[in-house]
Amino acid sequence: MAFLLLLIPSLVAAALAATVRPYRKFVGWISAMLSLVSLGAAMSFALHSARGGEAPVFGPGELLRADGLSALLMVLVAAVASLTLFLSPDLERETNYRPRQLRWYQLFINLFIFSMLLAVSANNVAIMWIAIEATTIFSALLIPLIRSKTSVEASWKYILIGSVGIALAFAGTVLGYFDFVTLSGRAENALNWPVLLQNAPSLHPEVMKLAFVFLLVGYGTKAGIAPMHTWKPDAYGEAPAPMVALMSSALFAVAMYAILRWKVVADSAIKDHYTDRLMLTLGLLSLTIAAFSIVLAQNYKRMLAYSSVEHTGLICLGLGLGPLGVFAALLHLVNHTAAKSLMFFLVGNIERKYGSPLIKQVRGLLKVMPWTGGLFAAGMLALMGLPPFGLFITEFALFRAGFAGHHYWLMGTALLLLLVAFISFISQLNKMLYGVAPEGVTIGENSGWRIAPMMLGLAVLIVLGLTLPAPLEALLNQIVRIVSR
Amino acid sequence: MNDHDTLFAQLSTLSASLVLLFGIALLWRRSLGAYIKAFRWQSLVLSLAFVMIGYFGHDPELYIIAAALLALKVFIIPWYLTRLQMRVGTEREVQPYVNIATSLIVAGLLVMLAYAITRPLVMVSKLPTRGAIPLAVGLIFVGLFVIVSRRKALTQIVGFLVLENGIALLAALCTYGIPLIVELGVFLDVLMGFLVMQIIVYHISSTFESIDVEQLSQLKH
Repeated sequence: MAFLLLLIPSLVAAALAATVRPYRKFVGWISAMLSLVSLGAAMSFALHSARGGEAPVFGPGELLRADGLSALLMVLVAAVASLTLFLSPDLERETNYRPRQLRWYQLFINLFIFSMLLAVSANNVAIMWIAIEATTIFSALLIPLIRSKTSVEASWKYILIGSVGIALAFAGTVLGYFDFVTLSGRAENALNWPVLLQNAPSLHPEVMKLAFVFLLVGYGTKAGIAPMHTWKPDAYGEAPAPMVALMSSALFAVAMYAILRWKVVADSAIKDHYTDRLMLTLGLLSLTIAAFSIVLAQNYKRMLAYSSVEHTGLICLGLGLGPLGVFAALLHLVNHTAAKSLMFFLVGNIERKYGSPLIKQVRGLLKVMPWTGGLFAAGMLALMGLPPFGLFITEFALFRAGFAGHHYWLMGTALLLLLVAFISFISQLNKMLYGVAPEGVTIGENSGWRIAPMMLGLAVLIVLGLTLPAPLEALLNQIVRIVSR
Repeated sequence: MNDHDTLFAQLSTLSASLVLLFGIALLWRRSLGAYIKAFRWQSLVLSLAFVMIGYFGHDPELYIIAAALLALKVFIIPWYLTRLQMRVGTEREVQPYVNIATSLIVAGLLVMLAYAITRPLVMVSKLPTRGAIPLAVGLIFVGLFVIVSRRKALTQIVGFLVLENGIALLAALCTYGIPLIVELGVFLDVLMGFLVMQIIVYHISSTFESIDVEQLSQLKH
């Protein structure tokens, strides 16, 4: 039942957007309200799991399943989805989108949300793949919502790189299934994750290694792990801001989730830290590329995209560092989801006010929009990993896990790279916050009540920086038990 | 190994080689029409391979998949591709990033690489089809190579479809097909992905007045 409440609302909203033409504002409001139903269902799964309940299953052949890991991801996706729908361009007082574009937006963003929720609740790893592939398709249509040479270019690169990546992940899934079939013959439920995991210790390590490389490259492309990150700055730079908020936080988390699911199976089959080494290598590479790209960024949306690559790197490092690292990485993922979605909502405000995505055009942000500017500064400081925000705690925990595991060189290099990123962020942020606003930019906020939901993201960051709420801790411990058995 | 299995093994290697050959054919042709034709033939051979594997492997589900594959990749997608080609102009792949002679050598090397990395698979498997597994992985690599070495958006789409065929072949050879429900979901995704790519190609051709991806180079830093 709760599964239906989780998945159906976004489908209903999409159907509504498809049938009501021309577009009316009430569609946007209904779809925002419906998203709260999804969020409630996701919360109920999370609480159930935090209390140590058995993972509920649903549907023919146990189609859907919600263990702790799924529940955490459901909450992240549903929460950002809800925020995005409340902050959608169609609920603004004045919008520069045409009704046709708004209808298109409501239709595909809801389908996009549906496929992300399906991906994290699917029990069968091939169904999970189908849902993740669908996210690429639906999101690619929203990037060129405002048609321009650059947005068309970004959407082409996004769909081509994304589709190829996800196709390789499918090849990996097939190889994993092949190994299973070789051992125990064909079975209908063999691709269900618990069955796969149960049989994993007897799978061939050599075959599983090959399968995991395909899966890591494939889903890693979706997550934007370097060197498969090249679509990220283009797509984040060109897509509508609320859409990017969803992509950079929720979609990214879903892709990492897929990698983590397979990593557990692979670890159980391979046993010699093979996957850990791969994660650490790609994590460090992502950090390196991100740190030096931030220095060069001229466009603040692209700069935030590189910040995403940086945090992708940190999370990969954490996942490769054993149970302590996994705990830190998961909490980092939660914090990053709050911080990144907040930043891209704010970026939407800034871009509308200044009419330009270039850092050099944005001057005197604190004077022009005190609330937006203040929140933007706070969000940036959080992303840099400063206290009192949650990312500080998780980065600290992550490095402690690394040093405890005797990865001195690796962690030392990572710290240096964080420092490089920190310095370039500070200088870029300075340029935007202070100085004299360009001609023609009027002083005053442009978002009205919409600034209030954005504060939620900041509140989450501060709360998680000061304390770790007991249910969340229980849930994370539950997940660590699932992941590092 | 009995006669039945020997015949099965020979037929699967034969059909996989043919599928791979049509993939490599892309590399020495220039016109888009020839690309579409090669893809069509490849898909036809692929669906016959599915029927053959279904017959010898005693799995009637594969007949359904073969029929879906035939409808989708031999008729629907090539028809859309031809229409797309007529609408956005018949630009030829005059100067690919990698010239034809080099492309063919690279394709040969990629197939050898496929043999190298699939050794553990072929060793552990007892399936009669195992000999053909490297050819399927080779086709995946050739598809990737077509995508990165060709300059027209439409050619890249065909490269992607060939890559998808490689994966379908791999699934059939390794496991006699993944469960039906999954396979149908995959087909739906392929079709939708293709349609979206087509929409974006229309966008490209109307905003750039060309489908040469060389021009898609404005986004930097």
